[in-house]
Amino acid sequence: MTNWKAIQNGDGGWAYSRGCSWTEPTAFALLARSADSPNTMTIPDRESFQRGVKFLSSIARPDGGWSPQPGVEESTWVTALAVLLPEGAVNEQQRRNAIGWLKTRSGRESGWRYRLQQRLVGNNDEFPQGWPWFPGAAAWVIPTSLGILAFEKALRRHDAASADLVERVESGRTFLLGHMCADGGWNHGSNRALGRDGDSYPETTGIALLALNGVASAQLERAKAMARKHLASCRTAEGIAWLRMGLSAHGESLAPAPDPVCRTNMDEALMTLARAQRNPLLA
Amino acid sequence: MHLTRREALLATAAAASLTCCSRTVQRYPVGNVSIVKAPAYTMDVYDTVYSMVSDHRLNVRGKRIVLKPNLVEYDADTVINTHPMVVHAAYEAFLKLGAADVRIAEGPGHRRGTLDLADAAGYFSTVAKFEDSFTDLNTDAVAKRTIVNPLSKLDSLYLPHTVLDCDLLVSVAKMKTHHWAGATLSMKNLFGLVPGAVYGWPKNVLHWSGLPETIVDLHHLFPKQFAIVDGIVGMEGNGPIQGTPKAAGVLVAGRDPVAVDATCCRVMGIDPKQIEYLQLARGEENLSETAFRQTGETIRSVRTDFALVDQWKQIRAA
Repeated sequence: MTNWKAIQNGDGGWAYSRGCSWTEPTAFALLARSADSPNTMTIPDRESFQRGVKFLSSIARPDGGWSPQPGVEESTWVTALAVLLPEGAVNEQQRRNAIGWLKTRSGRESGWRYRLQQRLVGNNDEFPQGWPWFPGAAAWVIPTSLGILAFEKALRRHDAASADLVERVESGRTFLLGHMCADGGWNHGSNRALGRDGDSYPETTGIALLALNGVASAQLERAKAMARKHLASCRTAEGIAWLRMGLSAHGESLAPAPDPVCRTNMDEALMTLARAQRNPLLA
Repeated sequence: MHLTRREALLATAAAASLTCCSRTVQRYPVGNVSIVKAPAYTMDVYDTVYSMVSDHRLNVRGKRIVLKPNLVEYDADTVINTHPMVVHAAYEAFLKLGAADVRIAEGPGHRRGTLDLADAAGYFSTVAKFEDSFTDLNTDAVAKRTIVNPLSKLDSLYLPHTVLDCDLLVSVAKMKTHHWAGATLSMKNLFGLVPGAVYGWPKNVLHWSGLPETIVDLHHLFPKQFAIVDGIVGMEGNGPIQGTPKAAGVLVAGRDPVAVDATCCRVMGIDPKQIEYLQLARGEENLSETAFRQTGETIRSVRTDFALVDQWKQIRAA
């Protein structure tokens, strides 16, 4: 089991691998700890957990979103993590603010200006609303998947008006299905370039499958087949962890396999979530 | 109304041409570019790179150097990434020339597992204790930098301390065609400096802000640079990922990344005046072959035309 306290920074946060604290690894460390030992945390572990919580409380910004690091004056994709954190890790107002921020953000391609430009050149495609990494950019697979998981969690907790959230979850899922690669998996979202098919990646295939939990279709069967194929050859902890989480979310029972080498704190956290009986991202 | 520098320049140029005014052509110092034949990734690469770097008489004694390779995909067998031997040769060369510290640093734009990617690309097996010499720029501590007179829509960028604090940034790029920019060489390679943990994977903000313009803005943020381009085996066709290997058998280096990239274009059979980011950086009149002083091989002796996809046929040099 990872000794999270030993690798915690003085400010209470965690680094991706070493160095300064960031929001994403800190949030995933807290999620991993909540999956690891929900009822058996020692007093020092609880103190360490609370120091992580305190670090994250400094991340919330006046616009309701969260920044990726205390020094970054911009709310970004990590805002979804505020909603996904274990209960009690974020105060209720911060959680609601984060949901409000996420509701107003989507990929630039689904904004009225871009859609109008496309209509004027004869492109009448639908542009479902996914989430961007950074405000002003297009939607991509990972932030969209995290946004879907965050809104699903909010819906389970009944802590926001449901119609808007349900609509965004559906739109986000349409975005994901529309950006599936020809091989059945996902890369970051560029499934075709200059008329050529792009190859999918293990990690993005896994997280997209996780966000599509509860969806059943022939398209999803192809995605699961591709995920199993990736899992057979993938050697990175990040890829293996997301693939295991994605396939488990679709009821696939996975044969026990040796864990890969974890090179970063994020790897450790993701592998802990992948091993958990009940994935906190879906709880 | 807010105009970007590029819009202002275009408006000024248009006004000048309408009124038949003569305009002042900005001149730049003649940049030295060395072109050396390197037929294969053999141990000779170490001596070649050392000679190239020392020929440029860089004052690196006691300095902190950052080498920025181009790491894109998990594949040691393709030509997507800068070959680890070229990066290691540069690492050894700068240490031999007295640098106090040499770090290899990269923030890949597609894959989040940077160490896994570097391992799969052969860096761990080529560079001893690679992890100790490497910084993941996607997750390094960052500071905000204002872009003075931006060409792009960006007015500032968060950038990693490792590169902001170094004395010399060395772009160790791969010679590749690029389906959005025409060619990706030492200047485009600087996209890997932009932290993924802030801007995401890929760093899509840069594309929405204007691809050629952000390449030039990033270039201007780092005035102390050296460029080495790995053209031993480059990539032609639908680069920078889906193209095919092209053996050009050459290494190109110099202090002026614009001069290096313009020279690389000529080696690839591309007219550098047709590459928008080079035009924006220097102006068409400063991209002629005589604007730079080439040493080592002549362009004619090493020119190897890289295949171009249909969308980029017009950039082929005469």
